[in-house]
Amino acid sequence: MGKLRHLDIGTGGGVSVNWFISGIRKRIKTEKLDQYQVMYPSILEGVSDYKCPTEALRNGNWDMDKCIFCRQCDLKPTGKQETYSVQHLVPDIFKKSLYLYPVDSGTCGACNVEFTSLFSPQYDSSRFKIFMANTPRHADALVVMGVHTDGMERVLQEAYDAMPEPKIVIGLGACALSGGIIGREAMEKYDIHIAGCPPTPASILNAIIEARDKR
Amino acid sequence: MKYYKFGDKTGRYIGRTEKYDIYTSTITGIGKDEDDHEERTQGEIYFNYGPSAGGLRESVNFRLLTPGESIRDVIINSGFKRRNVKITGDSISDAMLKVERINGFHSASHSIAYALAVEDALNVENGDLNDARIVEIELERIRSNIDVIKGLCESAGFAVPEKQLLLLREEVARIISSAFGHRYYFSVNGINSIDGDFSRISLSSIEKQFRSIYNGLLSSKIFLDRLQENGILLNPVSSGPAARAANFRYDARLDSESLIYGKYSTVMETSGDTFSRFLVRAEEIFESINIIESYDIKKSYRKHRMELNGTGEGTARIESPAGDLFYYVNINEGRLIDIQMCSPSYLNMRNFRYGLKSGNIFTDFFFVWESFGIWISELEVGFQ
Ligand code: SF4
Ligand code: SF4
Repeated sequence: MGKLRHLDIGTGGGVSVNWFISGIRKRIKTEKLDQYQVMYPSILEGVSDYKCPTEALRNGNWDMDKCIFCRQCDLKPTGKQETYSVQHLVPDIFKKSLYLYPVDSGTCGACNVEFTSLFSPQYDSSRFKIFMANTPRHADALVVMGVHTDGMERVLQEAYDAMPEPKIVIGLGACALSGGIIGREAMEKYDIHIAGCPPTPASILNAIIEARDKR
Repeated sequence: MKYYKFGDKTGRYIGRTEKYDIYTSTITGIGKDEDDHEERTQGEIYFNYGPSAGGLRESVNFRLLTPGESIRDVIINSGFKRRNVKITGDSISDAMLKVERINGFHSASHSIAYALAVEDALNVENGDLNDARIVEIELERIRSNIDVIKGLCESAGFAVPEKQLLLLREEVARIISSAFGHRYYFSVNGINSIDGDFSRISLSSIEKQFRSIYNGLLSSKIFLDRLQENGILLNPVSSGPAARAANFRYDARLDSESLIYGKYSTVMETSGDTFSRFLVRAEEIFESINIIESYDIKKSYRKHRMELNGTGEGTARIESPAGDLFYYVNINEGRLIDIQMCSPSYLNMRNFRYGLKSGNIFTDFFFVWESFGIWISELEVGFQ
């Protein structure tokens, strides 16, 4: 080890912080999932004849999977964070633990950042027995983000094939579900649809919990 | 086109769009690339990592050339997630919905740079928004720099500061959402317009919390040892924090007229290693807070959709969190007929490779990678 620069400008002239104590001093920061709400994305209500850029508005119906929550139409946000739909319930075996493996098919990056926020102190997904897997071989759920891209098509399929049975697929964000404003959907079918551009961390957790724990 | 002209190269190199090479005030044809990789010698192997792996936030593939422990070179394939975005022919306002999704984490930078280029093309007077736009970009820089330092803590296995920085990143996202109605600035910026309530921006708690984490990291021998003399890059062809960490005073806040900054001091370091990039990113958080507070904007702005039918070419260059971000637009009667973008990830990716092959070993890989703050989303996007 060479001479360390800057070691004298921290707290106490080189006395190392005890991160364990520092962590405990900050106390628990984990929140209930309904503690923090946003308006965009949230469930939209009302009617609008605006020419929606993603065709999320058609014949008076609102399709949340296509909506990028661009705020241009007359639909009003309710603040309700249930911007998801469960197509298939998650097998019982995942009640004890559920490992997620994310794949970026073609994102702008914001879905990726919201996904990593699940592991922040505010959301702390581990309390819901939801964890991150570092390889598809250890994963229970494939989390697909971003639009279809030619380069990622095979990678996505290989990741799915490498996962053990039973397994589920989660579509996260407008791009993955419908192509959003950027392209076309990354996969044709998902067990859980989580809408938003990007979806909020709370809506991601709520969607998974509902699919897994409600019978 | 007030700030750029087509012609011979002048000033420093900014990077490459799909069609052009960009310098500080000129646009040229694409030059020759002499970027040869090292030859594989006997006993060396390519270690394959990515494009999809637990340690990578975005899809990208690395082939690390190694005789065992050291990294002699890396072949990077970032094209797996390349998005081809249909945008030419769009009206200048419709195109904004796509531009702000080129790099969602730096969406304020992209949407403002695009708006400035359009305003330059159509001679729209935009001086009133100069300060508010700077505040947006500096707030985005704070979040981005927190994220880079979080990545360095993760690479070092420092779980407590990593989680504390994740907490802080979320708090900044909430400030952005409270002021602008969206955690990533989507649908906030328009042509000569902004939607936001700047009175909701308060950063005193962020500053205090970050200072405590930063001081803690600076006092940790192990953390400093992992970062120092690792990933050294002293390349004059560089951009953003990576350039400033190597004592090159490159900063679009100083040498671009697209946005006019008032008094502000550039953060500089000299060693060009991962530690210097960490210091620049950290000190720039405080500097960005100073800039935001010096403007002290307490106003609300309401967005209005501006459809202009003008024709012309325009450019803009601003300092995004990772370095120079350049836009060129060509507009015919309010519709885009060409759009070119050069992001800092172009030079940062090249320089990541040079930094990595400067005598590093496998365990250094993530430190060097995280320290450049590269976004594949803005690097691998084609406009159609
Ligand atoms: S918010 Fe935007 S994307 Fe969603 S329905 Fe309205 S116009 Fe369409
Ligand atoms: S859904 Fe929205 S936030 Fe997510 S990758 Fe697509 S554009 Fe980005």
